[in-house]
Amino acid sequence: MTRVVLVPGTLALLPEYAGLEDPVADLRAACLEAAAWLGRSITVLADEQGVRIAEYLLDRTDHMHEEESYLVVGNGSACRTEKAPGHLDERSHAFDEALGASLRGGRPEVDADLARQLWASVGAIAQLRDLGELGPAQVAYDDDPFGVQYWVMRWES
Amino acid sequence: MTLRLGRHTFDDDATLMMAIVNRTPDSFYDQGATWAEDKAFERVALVVGQGAEIVDIGGIKAAPGVEISEAEERSRVVDLVARVRAAYPSLVISVDTWRASVGAAVCAAGADLLNDAWGGADPELVDAAAEGGAAIVCTHTGGVTPRTRPYRIEYDDVVAAAIADTTAYASRALDAGVPRESIVIDPAHDFGKNTFHSLELTHRLGEMVDTGWPVLVSLSNKDFVGETLDLPVGSRLVGTLAATAVCALAGARIYRVHEVVETRQTVDMVSSIAGRRPPCRAIRGLQ
Repeated sequence: MTRVVLVPGTLALLPEYAGLEDPVADLRAACLEAAAWLGRSITVLADEQGVRIAEYLLDRTDHMHEEESYLVVGNGSACRTEKAPGHLDERSHAFDEALGASLRGGRPEVDADLARQLWASVGAIAQLRDLGELGPAQVAYDDDPFGVQYWVMRWES
Repeated sequence: MTLRLGRHTFDDDATLMMAIVNRTPDSFYDQGATWAEDKAFERVALVVGQGAEIVDIGGIKAAPGVEISEAEERSRVVDLVARVRAAYPSLVISVDTWRASVGAAVCAAGADLLNDAWGGADPELVDAAAEGGAAIVCTHTGGVTPRTRPYRIEYDDVVAAAIADTTAYASRALDAGVPRESIVIDPAHDFGKNTFHSLELTHRLGEMVDTGWPVLVSLSNKDFVGETLDLPVGSRLVGTLAATAVCALAGARIYRVHEVVETRQTVDMVSSIAGRRPPCRAIRGLQ
């Protein structure tokens, strides 16, 4: 069996960016719970910043299971609202809807060119296809609190 | 250094707002607005609501004026201290007095801190603090008599003088039995000083912080701000906050203020710039 978890590359998760209040408390809780579900042997699929998110999550969780595991760091568009980092791009919602649906089905389909235009971090998500059929996802978080689409999902196959 | 102010302790990096509460008919800033005890009590409620950790209750204005007897001073402050103690158990109560007899009476009524603005003019005040379990503020006045204005006072080095006098006063307090963590020093802007002296002390406040004693600054709407900007009382808030920012960057711990909210924002902002306090809530660029 293989266990796979997807978390977003939200830098606000990192302790070096902690404020007196946590602006991503719900997301953090979901990420930590999902990371704790992974087994001992974990492969991280992430870009350079995503690796730091993964290390943070894995350092703070215990891993009791034997299953081969993957922690994937990626997220949808950062152009979902006027206040979003990439401002509003009307195409972002349809893009995220399609990407989210394919993730839920366990066969992520990534339009890399459009993703780049919509400030989506999908490099590691695209690598998920190499793991074969993942099956249906369990979704722990699906929201865009700052105009950026975040998912926390897990698959077991 | 961890602070212990009577019944209360504070972390090493805590900054504290000490709100001025005048039980006087004639203080320079409020001109008797809180002279009636009920008005003073309302002022306490207001500043507590604004987040002040300390109230500094005073029964005699600093400037020259009608002599106030010890009995009159006690009658102005002791009952108010007891009333505030009962109403606000977690509030630090300071009393602005130089008299040991008044200090002893307010400690018995629940005061946590004796704020001696006049630099140890009454040598027995340290004993009153020690016996009453209170902390003490050791100020520098250059040796002037209480309630007198500075007149042609000069120093070779005002900062060196302030450090020498306040640390000597702190040592006397320590010898009298006041715990080390309950002793605070204050350069006392304007007291025994001209405007150039107070500006120099502000610029070099870090040297006082480097003594290791926690530093209190009392800058609020004072004449050195008014003379520097040519502004009357009532128009000195911006200048006060500028001086506050400089002292906060240097590491002052306690701020004796009229305006709690504005000063708290200034000190918090500077503390975050200095890396001593995280931002309240940071998400910009980190989504």
